[in-house]
Order: sequence, then structure tokens, then C-alpha cells
Amino acid sequence: MSDIFFLVLRRLRTPLILLISVYAVATLGMTLIPGVDPNGEPWRMGFFHAFYFVSFMGTTIGFGELPYPFTDLQRAWVLVCIYTSVVAWLYGIGTVLRLTQDETFISAVAQRAFKLSIKRIDRPFHIICGYGETGQLIVRGLSELGIQAIIIDLHSERLHSLKLEELSVPAIVLGGDITDPDNLLAAGINHPCCRGVIAVTQDDHTNLQIAVASKLVNPDMPVICRSEIQDEADNMASFGTDSIINPYLVFGRRLSLLTTNPELHRIHNWFINQHTAEHINERITHEGLPGGDWIICGYGRFGKAVEHYSDDGHISVTIVDIDPEASGAPKGSIVGRGTEADTLIEAGIKSASVIVAASDDDANNLSILITAKQLNNDIVTIGRVSQETNNILFMHAKCDYIMRRSQVVANEVLTIISRPLVTKFLQYSYSLSPSATNDLITEICRLTNDNDPVTWRLVIDSKGAPAILQFIDNQQALTVEQVSSNSKLPGTEGIPLLLLRGGMSHLLPDPDMPLKLGDELLFCGRRNQTLLAQKLRDNIELIDSLYNQNRHHIPLLRWLKRRKKLKSVD
Amino acid sequence: MNLEKVIFAFFIILALSLNFSFFIGELSEASHHHVNELFAALIVSLICTVMKFGDRTHFGSTVLASSLVVDLLLIAAAITWGVSTVNHGSITPTAMATVTSLAGGALIANLLSVVLLIIETGQIRK
Repeated sequence: MSDIFFLVLRRLRTPLILLISVYAVATLGMTLIPGVDPNGEPWRMGFFHAFYFVSFMGTTIGFGELPYPFTDLQRAWVLVCIYTSVVAWLYGIGTVLRLTQDETFISAVAQRAFKLSIKRIDRPFHIICGYGETGQLIVRGLSELGIQAIIIDLHSERLHSLKLEELSVPAIVLGGDITDPDNLLAAGINHPCCRGVIAVTQDDHTNLQIAVASKLVNPDMPVICRSEIQDEADNMASFGTDSIINPYLVFGRRLSLLTTNPELHRIHNWFINQHTAEHINERITHEGLPGGDWIICGYGRFGKAVEHYSDDGHISVTIVDIDPEASGAPKGSIVGRGTEADTLIEAGIKSASVIVAASDDDANNLSILITAKQLNNDIVTIGRVSQETNNILFMHAKCDYIMRRSQVVANEVLTIISRPLVTKFLQYSYSLSPSATNDLITEICRLTNDNDPVTWRLVIDSKGAPAILQFIDNQQALTVEQVSSNSKLPGTEGIPLLLLRGGMSHLLPDPDMPLKLGDELLFCGRRNQTLLAQKLRDNIELIDSLYNQNRHHIPLLRWLKRRKKLKSVD
Repeated sequence: MNLEKVIFAFFIILALSLNFSFFIGELSEASHHHVNELFAALIVSLICTVMKFGDRTHFGSTVLASSLVVDLLLIAAAITWGVSTVNHGSITPTAMATVTSLAGGALIANLLSVVLLIIETGQIRK
């Protein structure tokens, strides 16, 4: 408010001084010029009359010549005054109108509106720095989850596209430099409802700056950073950045998992990519990537990550790079882009099982994939997309597994933010035996009819599940199985994946385990379906009828029976 | 030399001088106080006020406050004068005394503005 107010006042200085001066000169002139009264006696106008006359003249109301008809000299002066006062008014009004077009003014108004909307937020929110492809995916995901997003981006033209998105929770946006700590403060990093800062700009160094600033301003605020360079990532980690996501390493790890343990990869793939599914060939998800000879075209950050994770004995990697020495490729690398058949044949495409197009040029990557497919029809193709819009071309090229940098980051971020139990489950999932993994997959596929499942978290406390808590408080046990499925309510079944109790995680909890206060239970179920646990958590009547055999048709009798039951417990 | 500062100092001192030249003389003696001087003092004081609009410094806001006081008192004086001369030719000694004492009040506030100006200038020298 004050900013805008002072700006307006400062701009109004000149026009106001001009107006005062014009009025003063006109009034003074009217008192000095001699007139004649109706008796022909010489007469001079007083200040009162002069100001009265000038006031209505200046605003061109025009009541006439008051109090007596003017002499010619007075009229000549009035003529001068009329024109000067009109010009002064026009100038004044023009200044005010120009002010509304002024960039400083507009940005001051926008800042003001932004601060106001931050102040009014009364639910948890996340600050998202950078609204590129990644930011866009994250904002969409958060909006689906009903979480408020605050977006800051330097390029205000990017923010315009946000207006076209139909978000169920409209994001609050500010066009400004996020490395400026003032903007971070304005975005509410100290707000009691702020749940975290997510730095996903294109530039690693900017992300680093955001992380430094956030940690200095509010050391307890969780910060999630995207980083593609190891140096910057180490730097971020050194002052307590909570999560650092390197899309290349994440994807490299996934490829390695897909090769060694495709079932587990399938589970990871389901639970991490709940917002936007990755494009992956159905056959590969079941069978996994073959070992043997892999060709990696382009030894950049992605190429290095893939090579790093494929280093387990089953795979022998051949690198194709335009300048192997400069990029530090191992000996025996092939020089070339990989877009030509010669280079690929030299790299052994005929006998290779997998080709990874890892350069940072989409056109080259497409060319590599198409050429490779022509030379060896059985080869599995993995392509990296740099520009999100080119994704569709890679799908048309029948690429088996597409690596979309922004999608990888966005899905990781969303999992960290909104599904802490999923992160835990995935961590522990490595300890699952292959047969247990297979059983779980079969179970999930049966439940979801071979579609992608979704996860849901049940927290047993007075806010998350009041009814279940009330039931347990009455010394009535409720087991994990009883909240995950019931034959009387078909289609609400959920699979309990993880039970977190007092910091201890129970992977695939025992169905007979009774629930306790403070438990957190992770379910997975069919998309767009209400789970039994979701129905039970605040519906004491439903629990009562299902597990106390209180199944009378008349609600009043049900209620009476329930009262009696509760009394007997007391 | 800062032209803006010169102009502002000029107006603020001019306001004080004009105010004083109107105020000086026998309190209720109309011939000692010319109406044009009151008019000039009022206009100059208004300009001083506008010049400090939107100034966020401590000095600027204090000067703005004191010059608003001057405006208020001088406008009151002008209205008193106007009302007392309606349908008469000349002003009564009682009304004249009121006008002059109001202008005297404004003089104090004007003096304060000038003192603030001097203090601020002194601070810059250090």
C-alpha cells in the first residue's frame, strides 16, 4: 500500500505545483485588474470573489461574470487564464493516467497484490522457484493434490501460460528474481504455513543460491533442489539441502534396476510416476532390459550416469562420442555422432542389445534411434528428450524408453513432498525377495485390472482418522486387514504396503496386526476409487456395522445398540 | 549543488519570510497587514507541501507535517478574512486580530520547517 501511495504522490508533485501556481496567478490577476460596478464606480475584486470565479472558470463550469459584468481588460485576463488552467488540468490528469501504464507502478501493484495473497494463505503451501517444464509439471501435480503453490520466475512471459492452465488450486505467481532474498521473504518463506522451497530453475547455480538463501533465512525449511552438476550438488549438500535431485543419476539408477530387477523397477515406476506416466515399452517393463552389449551415443552427463550404473558385469558398454578425449570417455570409444550407419556399425550395432541416445540434441537423438532400428531391428532403444515438445516425435519413432528430464525431476519432487511413506517403502523395497515382489505385482495387477495403481496414506490420529481412533479407544481391536478390505464392500479393497509405527517401518505388514494411535499406513489401490480405509476413517457407524455386527436396518435401533455397547465398555 | 534542494530551500525560506512580513505589525491594525501577503504566504506554503509529497525520509515527512500545519492555519486565516469582509468593505479589528494570530501560529510551524532544513544540511556536512 505505502509503496503505491508514495509513488503516486511523488508523480503528482509537478502537476499539483503547476495547478497551484496557475490558480494563484489567475486569482491574483483577478484581484489586481480594476473593474467597474453597475454605478460606473471603479471597483476591485476581493480574494474571495476572485477565488470563487477562478474555481468555476478553471473547471470550465462557467457561471458567468460575477458579481458584476467584466471590463474588457478583465475579459482579456480571463481568456489567458482559461487556456492555461485547461492545459494544467490536462497535464495533471494525463500524469495520473500515464502512471497506470508505468512499469514501476504496475510492478508495485503486482508486488502488493502478491504480498496480500501470501498473507491471506491459511493452508500449507510450497514455494516453487522457476516455472519451466519441470515447474509446470510440479505445479500441476500439486494442484491435483490440492496443495497451494507459489511460483516465482524471472521470465514473466512464462507465467502468462499459467493463466491458460485450468488448475483446481490456482497458483500465486510473482515475476521477479528469485535469487533476491527479498522476493523469497515476500513469497512467505517465514510463513507458518510454508512447507518447503523447491528450486527447479534451469541453472544449477541459481538453484544453489536459492538453497543458500533459504537455509540462511529459515534453517528449518525443507529445500529440494534440482542439480545436474556434481560440484554444485555437493555444495548444496554441504549446507543441509534436504533433497537434491539429479535427473540423470535418477534415470541411470532406474535403468540399472530395470536390467537387474525388472519387477522392482515396475513397482518403483508405478509409485513414483503417479502424476504422469513414463513412456516405456510394455514388454520391457515385464522382461527388463537385456544385458550384453550396450551402445551409448553421447558421453555427456546423461551418458556418464548410464555408464556409471551399468557397471555391474552383465553389461559391456561402448561409447560413441564426437570428441571422446574432451569428454573423458574411456579408451576404445568410437569417434562420431552416432547418427551415421558407419559409426554405429563400428560400435557393433549388429550384435548390441541396447542403444542409448544420450546427446543433448533431440534431432540427433532421433536420427540415432531410427538408424539403429534400421540396422538392428531387435535392439532396445532408449532416448533422451531435451525439449518437452519433441516427446511426441520420440513416441512416433517407437522409442522403447524415453527419458524426459523434467518429468523425472517433477515426479521425484512430488513423491518427496506428498508421499513420504512411498519414499520409505521404495527404500525398503530392495529387501523384498523376488517371489514376494512377484506376488505383490500380481496382487496389484488383479486389483487394478493391469492399470497403474495409486497410493494413499492413513494416519491414525484425531485428525486423520477420528472414527478409527474412537473405535480403538473403546478397547476394540482393529487389524490391518480389517481396514484394507471387507467382503461386504467390494471395490474398496486396498493393499497395505507399509506400516510406520514409532519410527519403525513394517514392510507389507502382517494382516493381523492391530492398529495403534500414531500409526501411519500406506495403501495402494485402484485409481479414482475410494478405499475402505478412506471410508472408515471418519465414519464410526460404518465401522460399527462392519465389525460389531450392528446391522439393523433402522438407524435408530442401530444407534441404540451402539450406545448400549459403548456403555457396557465404560 | 543540487537544484532540487535549492528550489525546495528557496520555497521553504520564502514561506517563512512572507509569513513573517504579513505577521509583523500591530495585531488588530488592518493597515499593517496586507491581504496579498497572506495570499502569497498561503500559495508558497501549499507548494512546499506538494514538494514533500511522497518523500519517505524522516526529514521529508517531518517537514511535510509542519508545512501541512502551516497550510491549515493560513487557510483558516484566509477563510476568517473572507467571511469577515463579506458585504462590507473593510475588516473589523477583532477579525484582523484573529487572522494575524493564526498567521502567527503558522509562523512558528514555518520556523520549525526552516530549523529542520538547517539541521538536515548540517548533518550532510558531517
